Amino acid sequence: MNPTTTTPLEDDEIIGGLLMAAEKATHSLKGRSLEELLSTPETRETLRHYATEMGEAALQVSEMMRNWASHIPWELLISLRDGAQPLGDDDAVRALWSFFQEQFPPVRMALQEMWQPAHLRRKADPVEEYALDKNTYDFFRPAGRDLLKRTEEYYGWVEARRQTETWPYSRTLEVTPGSKAQVTNEAGRRTQGINFASQDYLSLNAHPAVREAAARALHDFGPHSAGSAMAVGNTRISEELEQALASLVQMEHITLFPTGWAAGFGAVVGLVRPEDHVLIDRLAHACLQQGARAATKNVIRYEHLNSEAVRQSLKDIRARDSRNGILVVTDALFSVDADWPDLITLQAVCREYDATLLVDVAHDLGSMGPGGTGVLGMQDLLGKVDLVMGAFSKSFASNGGFLASHSPAVKQYVKMFGGSHMFSNALSPVQTAVVLKATELIRSPEGDTLRAKLFGAVHALREELTGQGLTCMGSPSPIVPLLIGNEKLARTVYRLFFDRGVLAVMVEFPVTPIGAARFRLQVQASHEPGEAREAARVIGRSISDARAHLTSAFGSELV
Amino acid sequence: MFDAIIIGGRCAGSATALQLARKGHKVLVVDRSTFPSDVISTHFLWPHGTSYLNRWGLLDRVLAQTPSHTEIHLVNDGIPLAGTVPVELLRQYFQQLHGDDTGVVQRYASVRRLVLDKLLVDAAVEAGAEVREGFVVEELISEGDQVVGIRGRTRQGARVEERARVVVGADGRHSFVARTLKLPKYDERLKCTFAYWSYFSGFSLGTAHMHRRGRVSIAVVPTNFNQNMTLVFGPSEWFESFRRDVAGNFQRALDFVSPEIGERVRTQGKREERFYGTVDQAAFLRPLFGPGWVLVGDAGSSKDQCTATGMTHAFRDAELVSAALDAGLSGRQPLDVALKQYESRRRSQSAAAYYDYVCTQAEMRPLRHDELQLFVVLRSNQEETNRFIATHGDIAPLSEFFQASNLMLLSDAAKESSRDYAVFADFEATSRMYQQNLFAA
Repeated sequence: MNPTTTTPLEDDEIIGGLLMAAEKATHSLKGRSLEELLSTPETRETLRHYATEMGEAALQVSEMMRNWASHIPWELLISLRDGAQPLGDDDAVRALWSFFQEQFPPVRMALQEMWQPAHLRRKADPVEEYALDKNTYDFFRPAGRDLLKRTEEYYGWVEARRQTETWPYSRTLEVTPGSKAQVTNEAGRRTQGINFASQDYLSLNAHPAVREAAARALHDFGPHSAGSAMAVGNTRISEELEQALASLVQMEHITLFPTGWAAGFGAVVGLVRPEDHVLIDRLAHACLQQGARAATKNVIRYEHLNSEAVRQSLKDIRARDSRNGILVVTDALFSVDADWPDLITLQAVCREYDATLLVDVAHDLGSMGPGGTGVLGMQDLLGKVDLVMGAFSKSFASNGGFLASHSPAVKQYVKMFGGSHMFSNALSPVQTAVVLKATELIRSPEGDTLRAKLFGAVHALREELTGQGLTCMGSPSPIVPLLIGNEKLARTVYRLFFDRGVLAVMVEFPVTPIGAARFRLQVQASHEPGEAREAARVIGRSISDARAHLTSAFGSELV
Repeated sequence: MFDAIIIGGRCAGSATALQLARKGHKVLVVDRSTFPSDVISTHFLWPHGTSYLNRWGLLDRVLAQTPSHTEIHLVNDGIPLAGTVPVELLRQYFQQLHGDDTGVVQRYASVRRLVLDKLLVDAAVEAGAEVREGFVVEELISEGDQVVGIRGRTRQGARVEERARVVVGADGRHSFVARTLKLPKYDERLKCTFAYWSYFSGFSLGTAHMHRRGRVSIAVVPTNFNQNMTLVFGPSEWFESFRRDVAGNFQRALDFVSPEIGERVRTQGKREERFYGTVDQAAFLRPLFGPGWVLVGDAGSSKDQCTATGMTHAFRDAELVSAALDAGLSGRQPLDVALKQYESRRRSQSAAAYYDYVCTQAEMRPLRHDELQLFVVLRSNQEETNRFIATHGDIAPLSEFFQASNLMLLSDAAKESSRDYAVFADFEATSRMYQQNLFAA
């Protein structure tokens, strides 16, 4: 790299010149045989001239470029400038001839590719590209003063994903969601197959006793609760349900909410004030995250499952604030990663620093643990944590949620100040009856049988997937998170699943972090282990086919 | 008979060689170049890159002749950020990837390959590796499907044949090993940047500056010989029009992105070398190992220059592969099991997420409203700014920073308002303007 007085040309220009000279040399050979060439002095001269030009150009290419483009035989190109070769030397002409006929064509292609890469000439399906490339968050902060009009860009993307059948939301069920299901996607296409998309871990949706309870409630009370639970929205079975749940979680005071989301959000905003603090696991459910943000600016999201981080933050907060409350929030079974925290430590740490622990048992209560008591039961903590909230939507065959505590005061307070309890229509009589019956079943010996069946299918599915080199996250639970990673790959796999009869929920950002898309396979008690294994094989094939498709669709298609 | 023959003696190759040789293995390195020798490169080392050099005892030699700093300046559409990669994040990186966090340093450095590669080759020789410069490999020797050695030409022109238990392809993006074995390319991402750069003396901005506006970026980074590596890059679609007038468009890009820097370069800068440029940047992955062979550095995975992580990743690979090869060659583990572990580290989910991040950045789409808002938000949050910089350089995992609840909390805590920045004044019109090719005639 000796700085020179006359700066040399830039490589690209030199290579352009080299290719141009090569073009002319090739042109001079066009349609001529070697004999013709040997007997035509002007053509020999033309060829020699351009060959020398190519050699000179190659010599001028920077050392940087030559070492980078190590697939180009630079030395060979440079040797073309042996202008010294005598004009009359037939061997030299023969050598040039064979160089241009045999060696040069692949070199020219390689140079051309560097000089003018294929992708600048290629056409791709812009709709598919747009659909696969973007993320929801790209549209999170639309610009412009028109609140309504600025939603259109997002809508355009949703349309592209619908068109390419990579939109995982809003599919419609055609029949009862059982272990198999029939759905219609947004493009109007219908498929049926094994159903990992529904959340009905114990398959109670199809249980005759549950359906009968629903029918009886419909007959006795009608479909409508016709008011807030604070007014006259409750019926006598609401109280029975509160007692049944109290026995299940071994906490005396239960507040019912019309949805699980309302329970989580209501519990947090009911108790926490702006001066208070919330420590929340990074992966806790959205209702809790949003509740925390709505309640206070003092929110710390601690590293997933890290009780030590909680201890440290509590220590820091208590060192400067001894007056205000601290709510520590975690899920029991995390639905996205299928893992759970050490709740014994977490509760002990909270007691040490006068903080309150709230545990969300939406996914595990009913579906796992001794007698369906979930992670709390597994860790021998029934009745021993400060606050427990849950949802009925996974194992209890209905909408709705609850908050459990040991304190009648907490119950009354959250009912009044949680917002979502007071200002919503109460759980309907049918829902209440269904959840009541489900709670009874969960606590009965039949519940144990159902959980054993559920876990038979869970183990079969995880084993078969892992055997194919795929990554199942977390520990055995009704949710089997199958890690894919790249969103583009996940969306393409999703499309193949649909065609091949595997119904599964794809989760991507913002539910998971960017680049950590996955399928959430939700297993049910009615899935047979054999059926689960077969599905796992289809899943494995779909993933390898999607990988192949992406390589061809976004890679080697030149024109 | 060698334990390992390493084809390519630059960042990935010499670094692998010196570690294997230090562990007592018999290593041959061959390279077609004679050193010192230059090659196209951003020649930027992120703090984990310099940390690797430090772990190998080579950083002092590099820094003796190369400027280094800890603070990086980023300006996106007029929104400035400055930060330093935190030590804890560097420790976590080394702990997670290598199970050992010794030798962590926070400095970054821009070191010319003329300097660095020579130093690495010398270090490999000192460690006991045999290095043959000016050696052109012409053939891989195979027995069945097992690669067992190489045939090639020495600097003096003699044809020789050498055998080894494993052949390491550290021979860059256009790897001879990969081409000879006809390895396929996976996950190709053809959209990339075009980049033009040169070396200017006569002015100093202190630390590294990276500015972006619309679809164009510039970087000024102090490097060896009291010069500034001065770089302009944009979307590959604009390459054809840019190169019609390299010098003119280079200055135009500087002026467009940062009038101040444009002015400095125009009035004080003295260009010391020709302009260099390339659009040969499309990203791909190749299979990483097979019977008797393994790839490190760009040979196994090449990405766009826009995040300047190539050399650092080559060092990472060298440390990973030499640990794996040591385990395999010493018999502690079957070689293929050890190399499988090497592969799983390089093909992990977080590596995939970063690959995707770089490829997306390389498309050079104008920054979105939410991205710019994020930069405004970060201005009042130094800790998260540092984490963002660490994330951008592949030190902290993308999944931690770019997580919905983190981003939402960040914006909740914002202290500065976007009103202070001109780009938000008429965002739609500005975005439309950015889509116009700046270099179109």
